[in-house]
Amino acid sequence: MNPSTSTASLLQTLAPIADPVVRLADGALLDYLLIELVPTLADSSSVASARATHTENEMRAAGLLPARSAKDKDKEASDKEEDALRARLEAVGAHVGANLAERLSRDRARFADTLDIIKFICKDVWQAVWAKQIDNLRTNHRGVYVLQDNNFRPLSRISSHEGPQEAARRAKLYVAWSTGLIRGALARMGLQGTVIPEIPSLPQCTFQIKLPKGAS
Amino acid sequence: MPPALRINAVAFVSASNAPILVRTFVDGGDDLKYHYLAHTSLDVIEERIAQPKFNECYLGLLFSMEDVAVYGFMTPLKLKIVVALALTDTVVRDADVVLIFKAFHTAYMRSISNPFLRVHASPESSALVDPSPALLTEANADARKVTAFKRRVDDVARSVLGHDNILE
Repeated sequence: MNPSTSTASLLQTLAPIADPVVRLADGALLDYLLIELVPTLADSSSVASARATHTENEMRAAGLLPARSAKDKDKEASDKEEDALRARLEAVGAHVGANLAERLSRDRARFADTLDIIKFICKDVWQAVWAKQIDNLRTNHRGVYVLQDNNFRPLSRISSHEGPQEAARRAKLYVAWSTGLIRGALARMGLQGTVIPEIPSLPQCTFQIKLPKGAS
Repeated sequence: MPPALRINAVAFVSASNAPILVRTFVDGGDDLKYHYLAHTSLDVIEERIAQPKFNECYLGLLFSMEDVAVYGFMTPLKLKIVVALALTDTVVRDADVVLIFKAFHTAYMRSISNPFLRVHASPESSALVDPSPALLTEANADARKVTAFKRRVDDVARSVLGHDNILE
């Protein structure tokens, strides 16, 4: 067997593994998943926290824990629940973002600098997840980047009978997953930073990325 | 018929230069030797990166030692893959080696995408820190969880070597 035919068969055996066929899924599936993700996780975390507060109250009754004033108990509980929910959503998003960055950066050249990484997120990642690119990118060249999306898909269909302000406030939970996505992608590419979402008006959304000193 | 390319060993090294997996495919071979090979190739890789030859993931032949030729590959995410091929007289085509690297990279990607794979669940690997697996040698890995990764890596090597050369 001369080398050329054996390497041709090498190509045949390895090609399916090396470059697997890209399987596509309907974009609407992601929209539905994100919509349902928030209440589902809220339910499951409320069950978990109800259990925790139940045991806590039992311990209080038994005198093992000091009693807390009733006035700020309720407010604290709901805030804590929302924070826990947001943390879970961000964790899910981080995992997805990291692996997506891994997959999408396969065949491209190496990243020249931090701006290149941010542009990769604005263009390739956003295009893959939401079929559009970031509309506006601003930076102060000192590690702060603001990504603006004028018609953010998860927010495009949110409305509330209590008015647009209330809708914008509730919508914060729905961007938590996307916040995690950006943070996870950045982390996998080597940049540890914070991402803060803001909803000036539905369906517009901005993400503020703060990278530590040392990044250009 | 001896196949054209024989993979002796493969090593995956993470972005922070921590080893992820070192897998050898030569019986009677010395695991430690390939650990050492991976180490030295890290130095060569760093040297090659310092040169302004920016656009390539495939780093080509790094160096060759006794009976192996060592090739390197670095993804844009700084994951390094080092493959040791047995020295042969036949011409080794770059395209083939790139294909081998891509196959290993795909195997790594598929295993990393598993959210339940966490080899060394260190307490600080929360959502903030990227949970890439730590060293997966036979000695200190949770055997059940990493078999999928190892199996995929072995599959790649096996398809290169041909069915008559399954080496474990």
